[in-house]
Amino acid sequence: MRRRALITAVAAAGLGLAAPAVHAQSSAARTLRFVPQAGLASLDPIWGTQYVVRNAAALVWDMLYGVDSRFRPQPQMAEGHMVSDDGRVWTIRLREGLRFHDGEPVRGEDVVASLERWMVRDPMGQMVRALRQDLAAPDDRTIRLALSAPYPKLLHALGKQSAPCAFIMPERLARTDPFTPIAEAVGSGPMRFRADLWEPGRRAVFERFPRYQPRPEPADWLAGGKRIEVETIEWQAMPDPDAAAAAVASGEVDWLEAVLPDLAPGLKRNRSVSVGIADPMGSIGSLRFNHLHPPFDDVRVRRAVAMALDQHDYMRAVIGADDVLWRRIPSFFTPDTPLYAETGGEILSGPRDPEGARRLIAEAGRQGSEVVLLKATDLAPLKAMAEVSETLLAALGFRVEVAAMSWGEVAERRARKDPPSQGGWNLFHTWHAGADCATPAAYSAIRANGEDAWFGWPRDEAIERAVAEWFAAEDIATERAAVARLNEASMAFMTWVPTGLFLSYQAWRRNVAGIGKGPMPFFWGVSKA
Amino acid sequence: MLAYVVRRVLATIPVMLVVAFFVFSLLYLAPGDPAAVIAGDQATPQDVERIRASLGLDRPFLIRFGEWLWRILQGDLGVSIFTNLPVSHMIAQRIEPTTALMIITITLAIAVAVPLGVVAAWKAGSWIDRAVMAFAVFGFSVPVFVTGYLLAYVFALELDWLPVQGYTPLSQGFWPFLENLILPALALGSVYIALIARITRATMLEVLAQDYIRTAKAKGLGSRGILFLHALKNAAVPISTVIGIGIALLIGGAVVTESVFAIPGLGRLTVDAILRRDYPVIQGVVLLFSFVYVLVNLAIDLLYTVFDPRIRY
Repeated sequence: MRRRALITAVAAAGLGLAAPAVHAQSSAARTLRFVPQAGLASLDPIWGTQYVVRNAAALVWDMLYGVDSRFRPQPQMAEGHMVSDDGRVWTIRLREGLRFHDGEPVRGEDVVASLERWMVRDPMGQMVRALRQDLAAPDDRTIRLALSAPYPKLLHALGKQSAPCAFIMPERLARTDPFTPIAEAVGSGPMRFRADLWEPGRRAVFERFPRYQPRPEPADWLAGGKRIEVETIEWQAMPDPDAAAAAVASGEVDWLEAVLPDLAPGLKRNRSVSVGIADPMGSIGSLRFNHLHPPFDDVRVRRAVAMALDQHDYMRAVIGADDVLWRRIPSFFTPDTPLYAETGGEILSGPRDPEGARRLIAEAGRQGSEVVLLKATDLAPLKAMAEVSETLLAALGFRVEVAAMSWGEVAERRARKDPPSQGGWNLFHTWHAGADCATPAAYSAIRANGEDAWFGWPRDEAIERAVAEWFAAEDIATERAAVARLNEASMAFMTWVPTGLFLSYQAWRRNVAGIGKGPMPFFWGVSKA
Repeated sequence: MLAYVVRRVLATIPVMLVVAFFVFSLLYLAPGDPAAVIAGDQATPQDVERIRASLGLDRPFLIRFGEWLWRILQGDLGVSIFTNLPVSHMIAQRIEPTTALMIITITLAIAVAVPLGVVAAWKAGSWIDRAVMAFAVFGFSVPVFVTGYLLAYVFALELDWLPVQGYTPLSQGFWPFLENLILPALALGSVYIALIARITRATMLEVLAQDYIRTAKAKGLGSRGILFLHALKNAAVPISTVIGIGIALLIGGAVVTESVFAIPGLGRLTVDAILRRDYPVIQGVVLLFSFVYVLVNLAIDLLYTVFDPRIRY
């Protein structure tokens, strides 16, 4: 008997109190207690696109298709599909017997309404929307999408893991404006959301949906049979990483989605806890330039920064001494994924050349320029990277003004196109999930389409041409060639500078089995003894 | 007395209006954008703008303030931007842990600090006095989160006597409820114990030097009688003032303590809301805290008449 259990029993007996809630072993095994990366404050995966919302939504809602660990879209709610010879008409058939958590059957009209809402918010969805001639449900199990031109990446768009995912909702919810949150969380996924037990930002409870019909194939990321091995999954948000690590060490929770590198050694020494890499694709650090204003409107200046920048410095600042958790990447894409390319990446992998960088800046006539660096002080990786950049930029002769603020303020200020001296900016740091950088599909940061581009508003025709080639590619060889060209063009234009790939640990109690690695926590197949 | 109480309660209304105006203005002026947080990192500026418009955040200050104030006057704190739930519901979900933590902390602090301060004053200059003051300096100097981590490490992780984190509602049994709050109350109470003990000691030293105490001693009254019947009662007014002021400290300390021990209280709700710029929640919680603070001050003022019958309102 654990010491605390004994104390609890004695205290209850001694004080003559009601029996404490000591759960039976079987009851405890039915509930998986999970600590997510952040508290769940909303549950509309189209309205809010934060990762934590996407991760919870994947329990509640299902998708027509789902990508597997090779980024191949596999049928999920769909039984299958047919494409017309000209590649413009897609007919998708739903599996039989699919039901929402309120008991209503999943109908073609639900799918149509859900896709229409998703198309407004998702970059790939917007491409489909631009091509759409007709989207309708001829019967309850059929969806027909007619396009004005072929769109070979449609299944990828419908099954991708990056937010917002194409989750299927009941029509009555899916008709909600995409910029307004839905009123309730009713899906057809493997778990039912217990709204009555929800404490926003702190606790969210999911209950196994007994009428869910998993596919027969083994689960693989968002594809295959999503078999839930526990009755309840309870998300308990813990903003303090020390408290979370202590909670898993003492057995008060079962699984931590993220563990600070500093706390991992202590957990590794605990014989009741396993520690492992959460997502081998990790995150790619980014130094993002504003292309609208000097000095980074000049490609020579952007390349000069890349020539001098050492990813080792950035990753040591972010991760510390644990070299397992980072690697250099002379690429904008995620290593060990099918399309990974390093073409043109020599500027990041070769010897660092600060002297050459200074010469290039002088050649551009931008030596001594004043630059405004936005520094998010409440997110440790971003703060660390900004501090390295401050030193680097000063060493290159820039006069650096560091604007320290919260990430929320950075998110607001980076949208401003004003000159840096009038409330704008020159540089900020962020990171991109490695899984989102495996293909150009949902990789907004790689685009260089000017006004429509992500913050910094880069414009480059070679990059956009390569992106278009990838979207048009119908086989993996063509896709690889397009991505190689895209990487080369992006390195030449230096849209932004990758500062390295970093990973994080997750931790779980040894009585929990089936925890995998991936871009999000996959709960299917996870069991607890 | 009753008229005074009514007058004071009515006086809270303009105070709350001023607080409401400042809270709303500060949040309006503060940088940050909830729409950007909702939209996520991949969203385009156009998406962010549309979300901002749908939330009504693009409307003029006076219109937003007027609407908010009108709702507040009707007892409606509004709806959270993120959860789409009524702010009053979210506060109701979180009020029990914070209230429990504060009550236990205050009770613990008074029960420990007042006797410590009295004994220190009675034995002024002795090793007991020095030990109590050393403890007070330590308690006041060490930040709550450091004390919290130390307590959790020793009593939860090493000794396994108490849970590391979390909160169990009272409805699930008294011991499960209490065991989750012992370490947080000790951590949060350490500052408070130090403060009250020092004030009690200083006030008692002053009172113990008064003529009537010397007279009581000359009459042959015992130490206990002198200390608790005569001295402490006369020292109670400044001590109760400090306890009242300390409530504000407790509210601030609860934010940190709730984070360290993962207690789902109002402190964490406030921090989360600030990080997300969930304006209605921040406004609701700050108004609530202000109201509590005004009421505590009123209660302390009324307590003065109990300790010192010469005070009349």
